[in-house]
Formats: sequence, structure tokens, C-alpha cells
Amino acid sequence: MSSLAVKDHPGRLDKRPSRTRSPRHWPGWLTGWAFVLPAVALFAVMGVYTIGSGLALSFAKWNGFTPTWTWVGVQNYLDLLYADPVLAPELRRAGGHTLQVMIAVPLLTVAISLPLAVALNSIRRLRAILRSIYFLPYVTTGIAVYFAWRYVLEPDGAINTLLRSLGLGTLAQPQGFLGNPDTALPTLILILVWSAVPVATLLYLSGLQAIDPNLFEAAQIDGAAPRHVLRRVIWPLLRPITAAIVLLGVRDALHGFQIFLVMTRGGPGGHTDVLGLMAYRLAFFKGLAQTLGVSSALGWMLFAGAVLLALLNARMLRRVR
Amino acid sequence: MRAAHRRALGAAVALVVGMAVAGCGGGGEQQQGGAQTLTMWTFKKLHADALNKVAAQFKSETGISVTVEAVTPDDVFVSKVQSAAQTGGLPDVLEVHAGGEDLEMGASGLLQDLQGDVNDAWKQRLLPTTRESGVMTQQRIDDAASDSPFKSAKAGQRFSVGFTAGAFGIVYANKDKLKAAGLDPDTPPKTWEEFLDALKATTGKDTKEGGLSLGLKVSQTGYNWIYQPLAHAYLGKDRFQALFAKGAAQGFASPDGVRTLEAFSRLTPYWMPGTTTLGIDEADIAFAQGKSAFDVGGTFTMAFLGQNGMSPDKVLTFPIPPSAEGVNKEISMAPLALTGLGVTSTTDNRAAAVKWIDWLTSPEGAGAVAKESLDLPATDLGTQAESLLGPDLAALQKYFTGSPDSMYDAADVSFFPSDYDQVKPGDLMVRLTPLQEVSPQQAGTELDKIMGSMWKVTE
Repeated sequence: MSSLAVKDHPGRLDKRPSRTRSPRHWPGWLTGWAFVLPAVALFAVMGVYTIGSGLALSFAKWNGFTPTWTWVGVQNYLDLLYADPVLAPELRRAGGHTLQVMIAVPLLTVAISLPLAVALNSIRRLRAILRSIYFLPYVTTGIAVYFAWRYVLEPDGAINTLLRSLGLGTLAQPQGFLGNPDTALPTLILILVWSAVPVATLLYLSGLQAIDPNLFEAAQIDGAAPRHVLRRVIWPLLRPITAAIVLLGVRDALHGFQIFLVMTRGGPGGHTDVLGLMAYRLAFFKGLAQTLGVSSALGWMLFAGAVLLALLNARMLRRVR
Repeated sequence: MRAAHRRALGAAVALVVGMAVAGCGGGGEQQQGGAQTLTMWTFKKLHADALNKVAAQFKSETGISVTVEAVTPDDVFVSKVQSAAQTGGLPDVLEVHAGGEDLEMGASGLLQDLQGDVNDAWKQRLLPTTRESGVMTQQRIDDAASDSPFKSAKAGQRFSVGFTAGAFGIVYANKDKLKAAGLDPDTPPKTWEEFLDALKATTGKDTKEGGLSLGLKVSQTGYNWIYQPLAHAYLGKDRFQALFAKGAAQGFASPDGVRTLEAFSRLTPYWMPGTTTLGIDEADIAFAQGKSAFDVGGTFTMAFLGQNGMSPDKVLTFPIPPSAEGVNKEISMAPLALTGLGVTSTTDNRAAAVKWIDWLTSPEGAGAVAKESLDLPATDLGTQAESLLGPDLAALQKYFTGSPDSMYDAADVSFFPSDYDQVKPGDLMVRLTPLQEVSPQQAGTELDKIMGSMWKVTE
């Protein structure tokens, strides 16, 4: 409640229940807590405890089996940043790939979904059907789809077959699109974009439908061409949505590893290794080495990066408003 | 209104109590009538099926029921064991990777010490090179990092008993494709150079489906299964081990090291298209489907190929052949324990669990499992081997004998840094071949850097 509201309705403050409840209010009070308690308990166990435990683990060495942890202070963080001659270069390389994904996926998602949404918004017939079709990748996305993409991208997969049948055999990849170091990461980026476009398009579409049609009409009367309407009217009004889409894309790029695990496992030769996959590998692919702590430290570094980006995003949104 | 409140309150309390009761209940199997029931986890589906089948035989002999669950793949198995260790939900028996995972789990307190149970008579049943598998040695303790759980273990403790055995670096060749390429389908190549010639012939006959498949998505496979046996035969045991030594005076970038890398890189034209995108099982399946003429795996691959429709009599097997330019002119593989059986520290049925492991590693039990799983046991089956395993799988055992100098022992990790990680050199080897991003000389220099950093971490 804002301070203005309080000033306008001072009487409301008097009507608030006192902090000391009389016994006749207990049933209502208890009912409220009884309903809230499961969720609070669940969050306390699954949320607060695991977050706290994860943070503590980032300052320790542990293989997941021993009853005690070995405390190492901030060494895990230092190892990742520069101290460990094996981990630090690995982090830098994976960080470089993650950065490429962080930049390319949101940009391409916006570049594809905004025109798509504008086109969908401008038609009347078949809009619902087309919207459903464009939303299909989101409904079907997941591990199974990543496997399906692998088959499509194989040396004898559908894409190479199509390219050869169209006389574009020089564009076909004899080792498959995921087997060539030059095409592996760009291919994964395109699949990530393919997964992200449906939601972004829907967000843009809902944003477009919320814009007052009089604005378009006024712009047209003033002689604005469609491209000018897009640039001068639609784009500024959709900036908050764009910021949200970019933030979602960046967040996915920072944390996501499933597609990299399923489709390339960081290969070929480490060319698609990303930070999320590195954290997963440190936790579960290091045999039983005591790397759960360093994996957790990497997770917290990613979290810090995500928080920074979220703050930046919030600042941008405020400025836009 | 009050009545409504009471009803709502009652419903909420019932919900909370119900959830609490549900949370407390479940888990663990109820034992009926005092009958003993064991639970076991393995990371191999093939083994779980075989073990569940032979469990009936074990029950008829001992009255003990056993239920075996497969938890796959390996990383899921490890994370499930980690979770179960924290929640007290471990089974009675675990099948784990031998040669490291068993020791790590034992030193971490998850597996019991079986030193007092496994007597000499029990050990004598096992293949000689697998008898001490699962036993903590003083050298492993000394080499471990100061904060390793190994430091809390004692030399001589036994955390597992060898269950399956075998070797890596076994080549499988499709006899039909060999014949089609004009090669003798019954005579394996004697040298690395002859092997390359055979690959040249099969890829010449069929460019797309005449090559070599290997699951290079798991990058260390090429490094472990092909390069290391090849380099061992090329340089001899001592010189091979010096490649990994601290200081890299005779490391991978030395003239000898570069020659081994150059020999390995000659495979470049013959890889199956897209092999870098295949996992280990996928590469085997590709071979079974006729998409490649050669496949590299281990002795355990034969069963998997059979499962995927490749009849063993259609396959010619041989170990990675030694180079004619190298020191050793013949190659043999020391059979190492691939998996071991351990009793968890939380079991209430220790005696029954030990009895189950005892039976599984007896000729009778091991034979029954081997027959079902077509996987070589660590138990010496002696003359029964051929009848139980079939002639093709039993024939693989002939590569287990050879002179100590020429025998490649993948279980010998004494010359590696204690924090040795195969993925880094594995990735580099993929960049050498098939990607050709680095030359043998560059790969040698990079490998020395990688080993150097691992030694630094070990310090």
C-alpha cells in the first residue's frame, strides 16, 4: 500500500487487527497457518535448506559420500578463477562459449520473434492456427526433441539429404553438423533459438494486442510507413517485453546445459563446452573425485552473474518506463 | 462461520498429518515370515537382467531372495548412490566400477571391509590379475591428495570382490565387409600398418560405411582404448610410462612421443562419418547396423553387439595391433577387473550379502551369470569357459596371455598424477584425429602441458 493511500484512508489503519490476537480469532488464524504451513515447510526444506547447503558446499571439498566435508574457504572460487592450472583454462574456454550463446540466442530470438508476432498480429484469418503451429516447438521441446534433432543433423540426416537434393551439397556437412567444430556451436545456438521463439512470439503478440489501435491509426494518418510504425511506435512500446525476453535468454544461456549434454557432451574436442555443462561435469562426471564443492562454487558464480544481469535488466526497465 | 472455520481447519490439519504420515511411511521392503531379502543395484542393465534370472537359482539353494535394480547411465548411478548415502536408502549390495570407484566408496564409508571374509580359497577362484582388485594398497593411500578419503583407509582393506573382467582396446571387424573388400575375414591384421591397410580397403570399397566407429562423444575412448595400447607397444612399458612422468623430460613432445601420436593420427581418413557425435553404445549400435566395418571397444562389447543383432560368428576380433616400427611385436591385454561387488555399510543382512557375493563369484554362480549376460567373469571358469560363454567370447580370453613385457595393463595407474583426468587429453586427441586441428607435434606439446598442470594440482 502506498503512502498516498494511507493518507487518504487513515481509518483503515484503525481497522487493522491488533498483533495480539484474542482467543476468539485463533481458529481463523490457525486455519490460515495450517494452509500455509505445508508450502512454508516445503520451501524451508527444498528451498532454504538446499540453497544454504549448496552455498556452504561451495566452501568445501566433498565427493558426495564421506560423512564430513573438508573446509577449504574460498579456494574453490580461486581455483576456478585462476589458481588451478587445469580448471581455470577450462572455465575460460567454457565461459567464452557461454558468452557466445548468451549474446546470440537472445538477439536471434528477438530478431525472429518480433517480425513474426507483427505478421501474426496483422492477419485476421488463420491467426489461431498459425499461432498454434508456431507454439509447437515449445510444447514439444525437451530431451526427446534434442535426440530428434541429433538424427536430423547426422551425416546422413534430413538436413544433409535436403541440401544434397537441392544441389547445395557443398553446404552439407560430411561429419554432420554437430561433428564439425565450426558448425557445432552455431547449430546448438540455432536449436536454442528454435526453442525460445514460440514463447517470445506469444509475449510480443500479447504486447501488440495491448497497444491502443488508435496509435497505429494516428501514425498511418501522419504518413508513417509500416517500417516506421515498427521502429517508432511498436518497438518502444514493446521494450519491456524485449527486456524480459532477453533476460530469459541470458538466464537460459547461463544455466542451461541439457542440450549440450544430450547433443554433444561438450564436443567435438570441447568446442561446445559451456559453464552449465562444466558444473554438471564437475559434479557427476569426475568419478568420485572431491569436486562437488568446486561444482557448487561454479553454480554460485553463475548465480551471481544472473543476479547482476537481473539488476541490470530491472534498471533498464525502469529507464524505459 | 465458525463451523466453516472448524471444517477448514480440520481439513488442513488432516492434510498436513496425512502428508507427514505419507512422508514417514514407505521405503524399504517389508520382510515376511523371517525370509531374508536382499536388494542390489548395478549400473548395467544387461547385468541386472542376468542377475535377476540367476537369483532364483540362488534362492533355491539358500532361501535368500535377491532383487536387482539397474540404475543407468553411470552418472545417474553415482548421483543415486550419493543421495541414498545421505538418506540411508542404500541397498545391501552394490556392483561398482573396479579399480577406483570401489575404493573411493569404501574409503568414504559406504562399503564394508571384506578382508576377513575373502580368504585364500575364495581368491584362488579369481583370475590372477583380478584377485587383489578392490583391495586398498599403501601406494594408493600415499599417492592420494592430503584431503582424500583414501587417507582414512588402511592398506589391506578389501571393499569389493572382482565380478566381471576384461580388457579395453579390442577391435571388432565385420567379416562380410572384410570379404567384400577382398580381405581374409578370418585373419586379423598383425600390425598397426596392416590394420590401416585393411581400413583403407574397406573405406575404399564403401566410403560411407566402411570406416571405424568409436564413441568419440566420450572423448577419452580414442585415447584410452586405441592410443594407449598402441603407444605401449610402440615404446615398451618403461618408455610408455615416462610419457606421463612429472617434468615431461621424455614426454609426449619428445621425438618418441610424437612418433606414437603420428601413428595414431594415421587413422584420420578412416573414421566413420560423424563418429565424434556418437556415444559408446551408439557407436557399437552403428557397427551392429552395418554403418562401419570396424569398431573398437572392450571384451564386454561382444555381448552388447549380440544384443543389437550382430551375431558373434559374423565378427572378427583382435586387440589393437602393435606397430611394425615399435618395440613390442606382439600385444596382449592384462585382464582387469571391470566391476566389483561390495556390501554396503548400512545393510542389516551382512551375512546374506556376503553369501550372495560368494555365490556370484563361485564357478557355479559366475558361470550362470556369464551365460546369461555374455560378459566375461573375474572368476576363472577354466574348462567350462567355452561351454558357458560360447566359442567366440571364450576366444577373447586368448589375448589375456602373453609375456609380461608386452602385456598392456590398463589397471596400472601408478604412473599417473593422483588427480589424473582423462577428459582433457581425450579432448586433445579428438582434435588430433579426426578433427586435425593440431599436428602430432602440437598435440605432444599440449599433452605435456596438460600432464604438467595435473602434476601441479597433485602437488
